[in-house]
Amino acid sequence: MARQADSNSLRLSGGVFTLTVLRLQSLDPDPLEQQWQEQSAALGILQGAPVVIDLADCKEQEISQELPKIIQILRQRGCTPVGIRNATPAQQAAADQLGLAQLRGMESSPQSMKKNHQRPELTPASPPLEHPLRSGQRHYARGQDLICLATVNAGAEVLADGHIHIYGPLRGRALAGVQGDETAQIFCQRLEAELIAIAGIYQTLDPQHPLWGRAARIFLDGEQMAIMPLEK
Amino acid sequence: MAQTIVVTSGKGGVGKTTTSAAFASGLALRGHRTVVIDFDVGLRNLDLVMGCERRVVYDFINVIHGEARLQQALIRDRTLDNLYILPTSQTRDKEALSAEGVARVMAELQQEFDYIVCDSPAGIETGALRALYHADAAIVVTNPEVSSVRDSDRILGILAARSKRAEEGREPVQEHLLLTRYSPKRVQEGEMLSLEDVKELLRVPLLGVIPESPVILQASNQGIPAIHMKGSDVAQAYEDTVARFLGEERPLRFVQQEKSSFFKRLFGG
Ligand SMILES: Nc1ncnc2c1ncn2[C@@H]1O[C@H](COP(=O)(O)OP(=O)(O)OP(=O)(O)O)[C@@H](O)[C@H]1O
Ligand SMILES: [Mg+2]
Repeated sequence: MARQADSNSLRLSGGVFTLTVLRLQSLDPDPLEQQWQEQSAALGILQGAPVVIDLADCKEQEISQELPKIIQILRQRGCTPVGIRNATPAQQAAADQLGLAQLRGMESSPQSMKKNHQRPELTPASPPLEHPLRSGQRHYARGQDLICLATVNAGAEVLADGHIHIYGPLRGRALAGVQGDETAQIFCQRLEAELIAIAGIYQTLDPQHPLWGRAARIFLDGEQMAIMPLEK
Repeated sequence: MAQTIVVTSGKGGVGKTTTSAAFASGLALRGHRTVVIDFDVGLRNLDLVMGCERRVVYDFINVIHGEARLQQALIRDRTLDNLYILPTSQTRDKEALSAEGVARVMAELQQEFDYIVCDSPAGIETGALRALYHADAAIVVTNPEVSSVRDSDRILGILAARSKRAEEGREPVQEHLLLTRYSPKRVQEGEMLSLEDVKELLRVPLLGVIPESPVILQASNQGIPAIHMKGSDVAQAYEDTVARFLGEERPLRFVQQEKSSFFKRLFGG
């Protein structure tokens, strides 16, 4: 895929990335701070993540004063704003000043970055992951299903464009159908996940969940995430 | 060719330096030419634990900067003549451990020794990365608590990705779990993770369990590696650990809560 430029100092290559979209309800920094504090566990998944700020709900608001503050809050909380979308021309100008890219994309709600109803063309799965995936590690099966024979430990992350099968405990995060395939599913021998997501719809889990520690299958039932025991 | 062993953990204060000193001494006691290196630039306490702090003239950083020869910086152990310590300095310069400098010193040590034991600093930054880079084997020191287990997991991931062996696509670094500061009583009371919990979470072969013991503090205050504390549970546990590392089978000890004896109960011991 990589195309060699004439000089060796530069190499262009393509890549498809999954970005989290933060859809702001207002440009007032205070409620943002407050919500972050209240939901720090759930928003903790944004630690270290590149994010896109969606201004669809802030069309009427003047931005030049507030945007820098919002960016600062996000950076302090450990995420990296990389771009904005659904901005008015005035908002775009302010974002340009801050070095944020303009991203075009489908309208979306904060919980889901969809919709790509079709199952994409998948290539056969790579050989299974044999070793535990450890805290801080991440594995993405691009254009594939993912099979993992060992554990996905807390703090580790597995992603796949297709299904995810984990034959050990799932203690970290698993995101299936990351390109928007709503038919993707997650199967695991022991559900102790920090987070599960399908086609951008995500859910955090805790030990109170009735299927905690059990074999489970996770799929989308409409807009809702369904978690069922694996055995019938 | 020497075998290089990194003693690492991610989390601070779990017993890496204590273990490096005891483990290196244990290898030397069994007749292997061994050197133990302090990679914890800035803190520098391996020399204290080994009881050689007064004899430090030149150190690892001087050798890296070409200010001294390796032979001038190596300190012979007080009791074992086949054990050497390469201390570090208290400089605050984080760049003191250059990758090339470390590689040069390691290559030179390879010629002289059977085992090179690297005492890693805490964290996952430069110092820790330098310490693990050349490793053939890693002893991941873990305390029976969630945060320590998580950090050990993190460092295991880094070992698998960032070591020289990983970069060169050779056999991966051999991983060993050493559970330290283990208190069967506190496990039973539910205050600490059990041995089984930790094994289940990390899934790394267990090299040993070192009990929590006041003897460790006595030893380090006197500058004596804990393996020399004759008759103590920690000395025996470290000895077992070294034996297992060298391929012997040893049953696990000090993992059950001691039943208080009839007399102790009678006299309120
Ligand atoms: N088995 C043990 N029982 C009781 N105390 C212990 C034990 N092992 C280590 N300690 C104590 O824990 C403290 C930290 O030990 P040590 O310096 O070996 O840890 P470390 O991992 O090297 O720390 P750092 O990350 O700061 O380098 C010391 O005070 C030491 O005496
Ligand atoms: Mg130390």
